[in-house]
Amino acid sequence: MKKNRSGLVMLGIVVLLYLVLGILHPDKTAAALWASLGVLKMIIPILLLVFFLMALLNAYIDEKAISRHMGEESGMKGWLLALFGGILSHGPGYVWYPLLQNLREQGAKDGLIVAFIYARAIKIPWIPLMITYFGWTFTLVYTFWVVVGAWLQGIVAQRLMRK
Amino acid sequence: MIAPMLLAIIGLIGLFKTYITPEMLRTLFNGSALHDMLVGVGFGGISVGQPFLSYIIGGELLKEGASFYGVTAFILAFVTLGVVQLPMEFSIFGFRFALVRNLLSLLFSFVLAFLIAFCVRMFA
Repeated sequence: MKKNRSGLVMLGIVVLLYLVLGILHPDKTAAALWASLGVLKMIIPILLLVFFLMALLNAYIDEKAISRHMGEESGMKGWLLALFGGILSHGPGYVWYPLLQNLREQGAKDGLIVAFIYARAIKIPWIPLMITYFGWTFTLVYTFWVVVGAWLQGIVAQRLMRK
Repeated sequence: MIAPMLLAIIGLIGLFKTYITPEMLRTLFNGSALHDMLVGVGFGGISVGQPFLSYIIGGELLKEGASFYGVTAFILAFVTLGVVQLPMEFSIFGFRFALVRNLLSLLFSFVLAFLIAFCVRMFA
């Protein structure tokens, strides 16, 4: 709920900014409002697709089950679970961090937790938005390197922390 | 749930587009890969918000002439680093784990941004 309020506060600041700038530079500020509406018009259809994907993930992915299996297995299976778990996990970090810390306390490898957290940089529901702005090539290349990067980070972290 | 923040950011983008000229942006992102990545990681690391906001901001920056190096670094840092949420991470995971994780993510923001932008330029 705290997040909700920060959005409203931010929106209030922006509205105030528009009012002040609207008095100082009416023409420029009107143009800014039009530019914003243009961005909004472009994004709305994508948002609908995003919410559909989110609902789909919510319905089919059992987050707790992913994280429960992730740490117990080491080897390739552990890495795959950590990477896929991170990619499929959605929602804010503060929801996941306590769950992941709980896994560490139960013996999950630190490297797997690090890989999981980095793989969260891939947000499946928002991929349509990324494609719209950056194109297919960028999206595929980005996804590929983030997965590789998450895995490498996990390996390095495991070496450094040795648990 | 995300609507007010989304509207706020879109409103800011409109102001940004009309008040910040490409010339001003070019002084911030000067086209050298390392410089642009430093600026991108710096801004991305201190920004807070839903990850998709970084796609919108990054996409608009790209349209205004920023390089893929800077924009990719911005998105990666935005999504994987959070100066603001650092205290929470330290308190949940402990000092050592949180420090190692964040330093690695900082390093990888540069490494991956370079690799991603390089590959995109090669394929494009």
